[in-house]
Amino acid sequence: MNDRVKHIFIWPAFLLVLVITLFPLIYALTVSFQTVRIVPPTPARFVGFDNYADILANARFWGAIATTATIVIISVLAQYAIGLSVALALHHNVPGASLFRVTFLLPMFLAPVCVALIAKMIFHPVLGPANEFFSMFGLENLPFLTDPNFAIAVLIAIETWQWTPFVVLLMLAGLQNLPAEVFEAARVDNISAWRRFRDITFPMLLPLSAAVIFIRLIEGFKIIDTVFILTGGGPGTSTETLTLFAYNEGFKKFNIGMTSALSFLFLIVVIVFGTLYLAGARKLTQRYAQ
Amino acid sequence: MRRESFRKAGFLLSMFWLLLCIFPLWWVLVTAFKPPLAVSGGATYLPFWDFQPSLHAFRDAFSGIRGDFWGPISSSIFISIVSTGLAVLLGSMAAYALIRFKFSIHLLAGLLFAVLAIGGFVVMTEMWNIRVPYALLVVLFVALPVSVWANGRNLPGPVLGNDDVTFWFVSQRMFPPIVSAFALFLLYAETGKAGFRLLDTFGGMVLAYTAFGLPFAVWLMRDFFESVPVEVEEAAMVDDIGRMRIFAQIVLPMSLPGLIATSMVVLAFIWNEFLFALLLTSSRWQTLPILLAGQNSSRGDEWWAISVATLISIIPMILVATFLGRMMRSGMLSGSIK
Repeated sequence: MNDRVKHIFIWPAFLLVLVITLFPLIYALTVSFQTVRIVPPTPARFVGFDNYADILANARFWGAIATTATIVIISVLAQYAIGLSVALALHHNVPGASLFRVTFLLPMFLAPVCVALIAKMIFHPVLGPANEFFSMFGLENLPFLTDPNFAIAVLIAIETWQWTPFVVLLMLAGLQNLPAEVFEAARVDNISAWRRFRDITFPMLLPLSAAVIFIRLIEGFKIIDTVFILTGGGPGTSTETLTLFAYNEGFKKFNIGMTSALSFLFLIVVIVFGTLYLAGARKLTQRYAQ
Repeated sequence: MRRESFRKAGFLLSMFWLLLCIFPLWWVLVTAFKPPLAVSGGATYLPFWDFQPSLHAFRDAFSGIRGDFWGPISSSIFISIVSTGLAVLLGSMAAYALIRFKFSIHLLAGLLFAVLAIGGFVVMTEMWNIRVPYALLVVLFVALPVSVWANGRNLPGPVLGNDDVTFWFVSQRMFPPIVSAFALFLLYAETGKAGFRLLDTFGGMVLAYTAFGLPFAVWLMRDFFESVPVEVEEAAMVDDIGRMRIFAQIVLPMSLPGLIATSMVVLAFIWNEFLFALLLTSSRWQTLPILLAGQNSSRGDEWWAISVATLISIIPMILVATFLGRMMRSGMLSGSIK
């Protein structure tokens, strides 16, 4: 085979990712061990692990981790539960399924910024439809965006709204790829629908489920747009997520060394969560396989 | 009987979810036509019934009294189309190479590159005070060839194959984007000081977004290329047609549905992207999401204006999503989602 031509195919992509994604990281890594400020400009000074130690001692960092983890874990669970149910319903061709198939993708194609702006109108404490809805139950003018707990609940609702379609999409594909013979056999043996789901469908979908949840967890941890628009991290810093914290640190205080260190710590947090999750998922899959 | 009740529950659930999906879209659509009174008087839902629709918000937006709309719209269009095209082209080429050829990379050569690159960079910038962009260029032109040369030797230790290279591409997506966005901001600022402006330029944004879209393109196109039968290519090869021509004239046309679907997904991601645009642009090349975020702070209660801006960003994506939904229904994408 004329093997040399393979280099022409792969090098442009490889070089671009190397130069645009990895080289800046090398630079940021060196900066994270220094004190550098843009405003007021101070010359770079090597400080070792001081930046990292400062952040680890900062309550705001741990608060941001807790906020992000709360939003991500609850919303991903909700996305999975709703997404799998909807996928099952669509797979069994409930009436209206064909209409649904075209529209159910919509939310995940909207810019999170747009979704946040719409949510801001809907959850307006006086003029919004959400207020009108809750007023029917005698709960008027709830502080949707100004009370920490409410604000986090709203953020969870938005994340769930926007990303459930992703779960539906993948689970539906997974359902369609399951071998039909197994279900035929189960039907012949007159096994109830619930047991078919519990003993056949769900275990067979488990590896895909684990992958889908993993993707959503990793993506979820990046959340900034919606929070940026909806609460700006407030009230106080009670809804500040990790990415927003890093952004605020870098662009309001212009402390580059600190922000670089923070983003690497963020990377470590994601790796830790990811590894824990993968270990847990593997255990669960193995237990079911037996 | 049990079966029927499950079907009923499923039906109710999907209808409920459908309503929930549609309502916010309906809300933003009608709000764009609301006169101020229809907003400040509480929630209204039905045009002509609840309120008298008007086009004033659209006129305001496009006449430019409320700040520049066309600027961000056109930069969003230019940037996202060019970067999507580049990302899908380069991504397809890489994906094709990963499917049809065998790559083997010694782990030691990779480590050698990491050590040379980071070490060399630190030495050059800290000890010799070379400017960051130049130091990176030197690293690129020294460490990379050395590692490639080393890879050709018989190194001991594990060897990484095609799957690892694919994973390397895809893993770029697993980084929190603030890490690379912020690092890229620093690097762009440095190249700017060295006389080559990338912050808030078309070129800078296209570079960033092409790299941002590449992992998707590689990942999705690899699956599509896998379903192209290798026999066709072998027949072409017997006729002594070059690889480039085979790729451009046989493989790409044969995976056209995949190419379209991948482009749409990448386009959607780039069109909606917020963080990179927030960090890397300041005025001239601001994209739509940044304009939208600005609307939020500058006119909090003028919902009609916000809705018009939101609609402009949403409508192209509604077309994309509908199109993809139809493609999926017709089975064109079957097997592509794994």
